[in-house]
Amino acid sequence: MRRILDRLYAGALWLAAVTFGLIAVLVLLQIAGRLIDRAARLVDLPPPGLTIPSLAEFGAFLFAGAVFLGLAGTLQAGGHVRVKLLIQTLPAGAARWLGVLVCAAAAALSAFATWSSALQALDSLQFNSVSYGVIPIPLVIPQGVMTLGLALFCVALLDSMVTLARGGVPGYRAAETRTEEQA
Amino acid sequence: ANWDMPTPYGDSVFHTQNIQQFAEDVAAATDGGLEITVHSAGSLYAHPEIKDSVRRGLAPIGEVLMSRLANEDPIFAVDSIPFLASSYDEARALWDASRPLVEEKLAAQGLTLLYAVPWPGQSIYTQEPVESTEDLEGAAFRAYNAATERLAQLMGAVPTQIETGDIPTAFATGRVDAMITSPSTGVSSQAWDFTSHYTDTQAWLPKNMVIVNTQMFEGLPEDQRQAIMDAAAEAETRGWEMSAAETEDKIATLKENGMTVSQPSDTLSEQLAEIGETMTQEWLENAGEEGQQVIEAYEGNM
Amino acid sequence: MEIATLAPILVVVLFGALATGLWVGFSLIAVGLVAMVLAAPAPPELVFATKVWGGMTVWDLTALPMFIWMGEILVRSRLSSDMFSGLAPFTARLPGRLLHVNVLGCALFAAVSGSSAATTATIGRMSLPELKARGYDDRMAIGTLAGAGTFGFLIPPSIILIVYGAATEQSIARLFLAGVLPGAMLAGLFGGYIMLWSWINRDRMPAAEPPVDRREAIAAASRLLPVVGLIVAVIGSIYLGIASPTEAAVIGVTGALILAAATGALSFAGFFDSLRAATVTTCMIAFILAGAAFLTVAMGYTGIPRELARMIGELGLSPYALLAMLTVFFIVMGMFLDGISIVVLTVSIILPMVTAAGIDPIWFGIFLVLVVEMSQITPPVGFNLFVIQTITGRDIFAVARYALPFFLILVLATAILALFPQIALWLPGTMLSR
Ligand code: NA
Ligand code: NA
Repeated sequence: MRRILDRLYAGALWLAAVTFGLIAVLVLLQIAGRLIDRAARLVDLPPPGLTIPSLAEFGAFLFAGAVFLGLAGTLQAGGHVRVKLLIQTLPAGAARWLGVLVCAAAAALSAFATWSSALQALDSLQFNSVSYGVIPIPLVIPQGVMTLGLALFCVALLDSMVTLARGGVPGYRAAETRTEEQA
Repeated sequence: ANWDMPTPYGDSVFHTQNIQQFAEDVAAATDGGLEITVHSAGSLYAHPEIKDSVRRGLAPIGEVLMSRLANEDPIFAVDSIPFLASSYDEARALWDASRPLVEEKLAAQGLTLLYAVPWPGQSIYTQEPVESTEDLEGAAFRAYNAATERLAQLMGAVPTQIETGDIPTAFATGRVDAMITSPSTGVSSQAWDFTSHYTDTQAWLPKNMVIVNTQMFEGLPEDQRQAIMDAAAEAETRGWEMSAAETEDKIATLKENGMTVSQPSDTLSEQLAEIGETMTQEWLENAGEEGQQVIEAYEGNM
Repeated sequence: MEIATLAPILVVVLFGALATGLWVGFSLIAVGLVAMVLAAPAPPELVFATKVWGGMTVWDLTALPMFIWMGEILVRSRLSSDMFSGLAPFTARLPGRLLHVNVLGCALFAAVSGSSAATTATIGRMSLPELKARGYDDRMAIGTLAGAGTFGFLIPPSIILIVYGAATEQSIARLFLAGVLPGAMLAGLFGGYIMLWSWINRDRMPAAEPPVDRREAIAAASRLLPVVGLIVAVIGSIYLGIASPTEAAVIGVTGALILAAATGALSFAGFFDSLRAATVTTCMIAFILAGAAFLTVAMGYTGIPRELARMIGELGLSPYALLAMLTVFFIVMGMFLDGISIVVLTVSIILPMVTAAGIDPIWFGIFLVLVVEMSQITPPVGFNLFVIQTITGRDIFAVARYALPFFLILVLATAILALFPQIALWLPGTMLSR
């Protein structure tokens, strides 16, 4: 179970990373198309006008999708920021139970976010909502990815909560400790 | 009751000023029973979010550019077909012809149309004079939706995507050579900073519409609903007048700031009319029987 | 609910949530939720997704992961440490020496990035480890970064000026030009403070670098070339019209990859590592942005920022008193909300009173940028603080303490700008007058 969950968080984080890479590739293609047009104008040929349709809109969807997919992995990597003053001053036992409480609160808030996002995706499905740009993209697709990412985030927080309650060290705490030691 | 009303444009835009007046009229007619708080310039919901937030009941009422919904149904794009209706009289006739269908499509989403007001006509901004479409051949032409992309292609230009905030930089650095927009937007973005020629094509008069969530509207007492409907009818009349005045006003401002304002040459007008013909046909293929009826009613109104 | 009751409740919820160690993004969502439940007529569960979706699907945000990725590549390829050894001999006689790199680096980088968070993350990732390794004072290194990171908004391009220009119908070209000289002035003030500080605190400066002869100086300069070339390429791609400011970020990544590959300094493992690190930092910032988007709409419903702004308007103040009052207002609001949200929420109330007081709206845009910059480095909600906590592991309150002198310099810069408005208005007036 531990291995499956860790692979799930890491896999989603990689998917997010690859998506950011994909945005870079698409932008490069767009720039290349523009340079080809320029070159054509210089030698008095009709510019071929190679562009990626709706790149701004499509790229924004890719960005949002990547962000939500990466949330759980970012938690495990100790990436999400929080104030640790109180936790650091409390005795170990109290700090642990405060950690459980905080994870529970975060899990509840991410459950709210997931539910909200699912409502939106269903709404888009029901009304056949499509994007505004040159290529109409059904919004349920990127909004579905957003929902999945938030759901995984919720799972990761519950996972951390259980780990803490059992006296273990959750992924985010281990990663935070590594950063603190480096600094 | 107190209603939040998200709108996309800033307070100095005549659409927003018209809406402020509409809100005041409603408050006065209901003796403060229905107060509408206008959240302008996308400060509550940004333009892309407004239609859905009204439909979902997050805001009871809002304003949106009709052609933003073009991908949902072709009827919402009817006021953005270039050179189909390129004057206030024609735009009025087209609106009369298309309004019932627009209302019907909105009703299917639980939305009620209150009124619609056009922007001044869309004209061409360039750094060089435009005598015919040949002058735009190969030029990078700003396209922001399917219709403007097709228009650019038919003029022989290269459709180019430029975000609104990026327009001055894009002109200054040569990523774009031409754009088509209203004199209002030309003045508010101070187009004379980066373009010098304004060719007054008034290609189409896109409309902003004010919509209300039907369920929330029907939850109001009878007299308040009537007050809204009365204020809306007045706002529509007032808005069309404001828009026409705005056209002259803003073209004068463009001139004052050193832009060369010219009427399209006969050649250009002919070429553009032909493009309009093509794009109307293409729209009809998309819009089918319903679209045919709208165009026939429009031609009957003229 | 009355604002006088609601506002204190929300402040307590925010501080309480943050103090327990709840992640910042969740703390913002929690406050937004409380505000929605207590004071908004709309269902929070539908508002959340609508607003967060809208706030995340913004094309300009795609520059964020790209710039951060560029920084991660440069760090891993040793190109960035080369740059520091290249710079060291040239700053040997400058009081404060390499402490100036954050100011210089951020000012240069701000010319391609419209966002403060990206500027802070990219420059800080490279500079902080190097400064630490060379024995520079930690607090000063962090403080200069936090302060100078805010240049991202002032030196064009700038997200905040685009937002302000769009909401108020001001020319973005003019606003961008107006930001150039104040940006240079601020860089000068920061640099001056660094010199003064290092002169007073000589004991906290590392030992002087050994003197170098001409040959070594040339060798050092050649180490600067790759990164200087990269900066020129990115800025050049914008001004030659090859790329939009958003797209230029990808030129930066590509250039960094080519340099790293050409010098054989980046392994495959390093490549993937850099991409993964950039993803983590981006997701961190974006999650806080999502929370801030939800909190912003909740604030829009409660009407707190509008109401406070309106109260200031009703005081009937003189222009200088009005500006002083607005500065205080923005500093206080800026502690709890992100700066851009405050501008969006209040501009339609504030601009009429400002123009009525005879204040130029272009000048006011630059004033707003300065106060928004302050909000980036005031706790508990300040994006530069979050980014620096991620890089250094230092708590945001500690980082805010190190940044305090630079916060005060920002206040000073605002006062100078109010006394000499031409600093902002001269350039747009000269270059775009007809
Ligand atoms: Na900038
Ligand atoms: Na702050």
